[in-house]
Amino acid sequence: MKSIDCAAVVSIREVVEGHYLLTLHVPRRYLRALPGQFVMLRIHERSVPFLGRPFSIHRVYTRGKHTLMEILFRAAGAGTVACAQLKKGDTVVLTGPLGSGFHVPGRCTDMVLVAGGMGVAPLMFLAEHGAMRPRKRRRVIHCYFGARTASHLYRLARLKTLCTEVKVATDDGSLGYRGTVTDLFLMDLPQFNPNRTALFVCGPDMMFRSMALIMRGSNLSCQVSIEERMACGIGACLGCAVEDEHGIYKRVCKDGPVFDITELHW
Amino acid sequence: MKVDIGGLVLKNPVMTASGTFGYGEEYSSYVDLARLGAVVVKGLSLKPRRGNPPPRIMETPSGMLNAVGLENVGIHSFIETKLPFLRNYDVAVIVNILGETIGEYAALASIADAAAGIHAIEVNISCPNVAKGGIIFGADPDQVLNVTRAVRKATRLPVIMKLSPNVTDITVIARAAEEGGADAISLINTLRGMSIDIHTRTPHLCTVTGGLSGPAVKPVALRMVWEVVNAVSIPVIGIGGIMEASDALEFLIAGATAVQVGTAHYRNPRAALDVCEGIERYCVKNGIPDIRDLIGTLAAGGACRV
Ligand SMILES: Cc1cc2nc3c(=O)[nH]c(=O)nc-3n(C[C@H](O)[C@H](O)[C@H](O)COP(=O)(O)OP(=O)(O)OC[C@H]3O[C@@H](n4cnc5c(N)ncnc54)[C@H](O)[C@@H]3O)c2cc1C
Ligand SMILES: Cc1cc2nc3c(=O)[nH]c(=O)nc-3n(C[C@H](O)[C@H](O)[C@H](O)COP(=O)(O)O)c2cc1C
Ligand code: FES
Repeated sequence: MKSIDCAAVVSIREVVEGHYLLTLHVPRRYLRALPGQFVMLRIHERSVPFLGRPFSIHRVYTRGKHTLMEILFRAAGAGTVACAQLKKGDTVVLTGPLGSGFHVPGRCTDMVLVAGGMGVAPLMFLAEHGAMRPRKRRRVIHCYFGARTASHLYRLARLKTLCTEVKVATDDGSLGYRGTVTDLFLMDLPQFNPNRTALFVCGPDMMFRSMALIMRGSNLSCQVSIEERMACGIGACLGCAVEDEHGIYKRVCKDGPVFDITELHW
Repeated sequence: MKVDIGGLVLKNPVMTASGTFGYGEEYSSYVDLARLGAVVVKGLSLKPRRGNPPPRIMETPSGMLNAVGLENVGIHSFIETKLPFLRNYDVAVIVNILGETIGEYAALASIADAAAGIHAIEVNISCPNVAKGGIIFGADPDQVLNVTRAVRKATRLPVIMKLSPNVTDITVIARAAEEGGADAISLINTLRGMSIDIHTRTPHLCTVTGGLSGPAVKPVALRMVWEVVNAVSIPVIGIGGIMEASDALEFLIAGATAVQVGTAHYRNPRAALDVCEGIERYCVKNGIPDIRDLIGTLAAGGACRV
């Protein structure tokens, strides 16, 4: 039987205005969580948020005997604003890990991560998995990271330690390329060999749409981790529908949240 | 804890509400289905239904709006691919059906009747956009009478008519269902509601309006259940905003023979089981040997300080 867990807040830190890094004490099985998987989280004995909110797993690690999990989130609406007010020692209710993770094809030697804003949350977990592989089998990890402004390039230093190469873009030009991260990636696109490269994308809706357009003219394999409002998180309520290329609705929580970009209707 | 719903004996009075518990399988790794009174599956139509475009759900104060649009695999596929899984459990399976015409309701009922492992039929007559214009099927007592009769004729299984709360007088509808030969009545389905994003000035749901469920609807549901209990003599199943045992107990005291737990599963996948265990504890603590001794024991007027 799967359990629904109560997890204690170990720490919560505002990394940039309105953006938080939440560290939770979780059961050991979270060590088997795959990059791209998520949890449903709500605050213990509070009615707001009424429904759990889905959050990508950002990092899982051990400290002494404890298993810790990090979530990186933005206070967007009522639910996440309530989560931002959590304090050390508070309890949250967790269901997870849920959904499918990213799949890194065996033949791939180069991973390309394209992250927009909060989209870096699951991708940094993926980079970490990549960096943990034995040196001989380690893949080259290229990362393209974009945000509104330099201060929103969360945990850039850590990202640089995990990836072979990190290129950044900001809307205001305060760091790196001035413009969108997809434009930055597009300039490098020709250098990647489709037979050996896999692409992983997470960010705002707009970014998926431009990536979908770019990918139409390319035969790189490209996986996206997408978002939709959720209620159950386990495939039962059909609330999280997303249309696939055949016009059939898929459940983001169960059939995803990671999809091949060509599988979906954009 | 046993209760009898029109000939169907349930081991306890707690079921799952249609549409909130998938086809049972989704929750089976979180709760032992065999410990539930019954599993009511997602509403089934003759042909698969695609459902509405996203966004389909929105959280609201103490509840949620949904506009899933009755997406389902269709009854044939359900019987072939989903029902075998449920047969592995010693639990009553109730199928929830929805048709666009009276003929479709009857056809669905006879298909369900012929399949092994289905213990009762719940008829969803709260579905909008059915034959003859936009009125909700379940809002017209004559239609309710006709649907109930048609389903009754098509099956020997217990027939539960599930009523919509979006009507002026629920007792008129309930009596029509009883007259048509229903074995039981369940209510309420969702209340129509809406919610607007003030930044974009657009509705939160693709369909503009949706169905409200969760604790926000409980007082309305309880009132309607109580009214129906007093209007008919067949068993009534209480649904609406049941989050914990105390909520379910209110429905039982008001006269419901059983209850269904719905939206609560999204907060707690074990909700139905937790409700069931809580009712058991209450009975033990209050020296109630048989749950039936509790049902309909509301002392009306008892709160008045005369
Ligand atoms: C698989 C998955 C992983 C996610 N991972 C993260 C993460 O790592 N970090 C993070 O900050 N957020 C993540 N989200 C989004 C997060 O779950 C919140 O739902 C969202 O930020 C809004 O919640 P809220 O309660 O603040 O807003 P609400 O008050 O519910 O709504 C505020 C606004 O956000 C929109 N919204 C609501 N729910 C979602 C949603 N699920 N996805 C997108 N927009 C939504 C609404 O349309 C509304 O405009 C993820 C979502 C999914 C589906
Ligand atoms: C997402 C969702 C889907 C639903 N689908 C159905 C359905 O297919 N058929 C039906 O009769 N009722 C359906 N309902 C209504 C519930 O069964 C129940 O009557 C209602 O939600 C009130 O109970 P609750 O507050 O405990 O959820 C659905 C409710 C929700 C929230
Ligand atoms: S959130 Fe319920 S099916 Fe995906």
